[in-house]
Amino acid sequence: MLAQVLVSSITAGAVYALIALGFVLIHKGTGVVHFGYGDQVTFGAYLVLIGQAFIGLRFDVAVAGALVASVLLGAIIYLAFMWPLRNASLLARIIASLALGTVLREFLRSYMGPNAWPFPFLLSSTSVPVGGVLIVPANLAIVGVAIAVLVALYLIFDRTIYGKAILAACENSTGASLVGVHVSTVFLLIWILASVLATVAGILVAPLLTLSPDMGLIGIKGFTAAVLGGFNSLPGAVAGGIALGILEALAGTYVSSALKDMISYAILIAVILVRPQGLFGELTLKKV
Amino acid sequence: MTVRLLFGAVVLVIFFAAPHFLAEFQLFQVCLIAATALVVLGIVVVTGIAGQISLAQAAFVGLGGYGPAILAARYGVPVWAGIMITAVVVGAVGYALGQLTLRVSGHYLALATMAFTAIVQLAFIHSDAVTGGAVGMQMPTLEISGKTFASGGTLYYVVLPVVGVLFLAVHNLIHSPVGRAFAAIRQSETAAAAMGIDVLAHKSAAFAASGFLGAIGGGLLGLLSTYLDPSQFGITQAVYYLAVAVVGGMQSPLGAIVGSAVFVLVPEFLQAFQTYLGLVFALLLLVFIVLRPNGLVSLASDLLRIVGGKQQRGAA
Amino acid sequence: MTSALLTIQNLTVRFGGLVALDDVSLDIAPRSIQAVIGPNGAGKSTLINVATGIYGATSGRVDYDGARIDGRAPHAISRLGIARTFQNTELFGEMSALENVMIGADRHMCGSYLSSAMHGPAYWRTEQAIRAEARRLLELVGLGNDTDVEAAALPFGKQRRLEIARALATRPRLLLLDEPAAGLRSAEIDELNSILLDLRANLGLTILVIDHVMALVMAISDHITVLNFGRKIAEGSPQEVRSSPEVIKAYLGEKAAHASHS
Repeated sequence: MLAQVLVSSITAGAVYALIALGFVLIHKGTGVVHFGYGDQVTFGAYLVLIGQAFIGLRFDVAVAGALVASVLLGAIIYLAFMWPLRNASLLARIIASLALGTVLREFLRSYMGPNAWPFPFLLSSTSVPVGGVLIVPANLAIVGVAIAVLVALYLIFDRTIYGKAILAACENSTGASLVGVHVSTVFLLIWILASVLATVAGILVAPLLTLSPDMGLIGIKGFTAAVLGGFNSLPGAVAGGIALGILEALAGTYVSSALKDMISYAILIAVILVRPQGLFGELTLKKV
Repeated sequence: MTVRLLFGAVVLVIFFAAPHFLAEFQLFQVCLIAATALVVLGIVVVTGIAGQISLAQAAFVGLGGYGPAILAARYGVPVWAGIMITAVVVGAVGYALGQLTLRVSGHYLALATMAFTAIVQLAFIHSDAVTGGAVGMQMPTLEISGKTFASGGTLYYVVLPVVGVLFLAVHNLIHSPVGRAFAAIRQSETAAAAMGIDVLAHKSAAFAASGFLGAIGGGLLGLLSTYLDPSQFGITQAVYYLAVAVVGGMQSPLGAIVGSAVFVLVPEFLQAFQTYLGLVFALLLLVFIVLRPNGLVSLASDLLRIVGGKQQRGAA
Repeated sequence: MTSALLTIQNLTVRFGGLVALDDVSLDIAPRSIQAVIGPNGAGKSTLINVATGIYGATSGRVDYDGARIDGRAPHAISRLGIARTFQNTELFGEMSALENVMIGADRHMCGSYLSSAMHGPAYWRTEQAIRAEARRLLELVGLGNDTDVEAAALPFGKQRRLEIARALATRPRLLLLDEPAAGLRSAEIDELNSILLDLRANLGLTILVIDHVMALVMAISDHITVLNFGRKIAEGSPQEVRSSPEVIKAYLGEKAAHASHS
């Protein structure tokens, strides 16, 4: 029983981890906390759906098309909104990212209707018994992709000169331009990468959850995972996602499934209060 | 002083004359604008003036509606008393939420208040026995000394005076040492504290005010809609109230009124496009936060300044 | 030095592995003008930040007027009568110069929330008094013609003086100035010096000035303390400090380092 709960919870955890990776990528890379990211995940899944159901593309072609479209979306978000707001107050940037998410969600509600759509699995969704525990290949794929994305991002940020330059660009833009890194190009690339990542997450997650305009509320779970992981650490985001998945599953099994979400939000508030630097992060000091 | 008296007199005349010129439904809409403006006034105080982002307003509104409804259904408390009791309690909840700001600010505060709203909404949905669960519950009718207030025409005489008095009080507060302290905290917490301002107490007070105003607004909105639907008190709605504040102008009470008027009246003009309403509101929020972060009110004051500037140059 | 207004005893402040202040002691006598100088990174600002409650002390203590103040909240320390300015100016940028100063004065006259919400006659009286006080302080620092200018729109030299006016509005006994001369032209520094001397003569203020250039502090200070890498390396009258070999080494060392970099 407990083993099954844990195995299933790891899928949910990987979903949260994927979304958390997007949050951390954007925050680490551009200094923005993107409150509309959950809706971008939903939008990515809808892009596939639109290609498949409305244009009549084959599923794999639709997926490819959605990835290309999300490159464009990422570029538009940066060039049309985040770049003009680069010197705006934190408050304005938070509200703008909330607004971006709301626009995407309401666009879907207006043109695709408020109801749920069926969405195909990438892999088989029939469960296979492995050592007394049921495992679903489609779910395994989510875990695999989350780990692959983590490894890829980790290699980029921590092992390449360019990745380190990106971090430098975020910390200190004059310093970065001194060593020849064009900050706005870097930021553009980050937003595009995050947008593609959102679509990947959306495609993996949509069959598990119900694909409706409100699926983006999953973003708050990804956010919680990112907070647990300290918001600046890529491995932290994945660890935070898995931890949240397990906590939720335990709460759902042993306390009450109705209270499951409430418990995870309460955890969020508690962590923010008690350890704002996350479970793995370090505290920084404001300089006067 | 005479200007103030004159202004007051004009307001009173308009207040008593309006029911003779407006239809029942239009009076209902005036009430709706006023009640929404009161909710948004809470955001003006806590976010616009004191600079603390809050996505808790939808939860305050929900509590402000459910409170009197539950008090009436379970304990027979008159609705008007229920609204007042609830508002004080929600004000205290707001104060407690404000204590979070000791450790949290910026995007973490947005997230924490967002989680608060989500928790409160889930509590409405899962407490079936008390709140009617996901189906929601009926808001009782307002009765004061045997008179019932159920229509736009009658509620007008309750909603507008309440909203008017609270707007006046908040306006005065903003133009007082308390309001200056709020604004100081928004612009530099470090300097505010160095000036002897108790930053945490003032932030908590701002949250308490937003809770109080949101709860009264929620009670009035409940009276107007006569039904409490838990789906109306979630994060989406919290962003909606924020949008009203941004579009109207977050730094002045007038902005709350202007924004509410836009968001209540636009659907009337776009009745053929009901499906696109959400998108229109979202786009309005996005366009304003990028191009006009201080809202319609700032547009008007800029125009006045341009006109005024021309006159000055003409005189010189 | 028996009845110092501010006493710093064996103060050590560490941030992680970094030692910002290392066992520093300092006495500030009432109605004196004292200075703490030292190269960048010597721990001067940390000293002010501990004395005004922004940072806590790792060990050691700070006493003001007979009471321990380290670890207290910044607003509580301000209310005891310690006011400060900031190295990079922390003005309320969207407010007028007058409003900036009014905020400093508010606490002394502010009524209750209720009277603030009612705007009764008592409110109007105090509001007038606060305004008059703020205007007087602006004139004192030479900003009498800039009352309605937005603080962020003022030139840098005036912003520094506005910070002093705002600090004075809290009616302090001790004024802490964090690099008040940085970025000022020499004429402006002379003007600042005469303002500070006036303040001591007319209001009986005690003043602690922090700076890394010696020009300002040599002219007005009674007593100078020199910090380097968080340690006190010299103290005494301006003449004594000027001839201290430790000080010359610290400053020449810094200059030499600068020269080799550029």
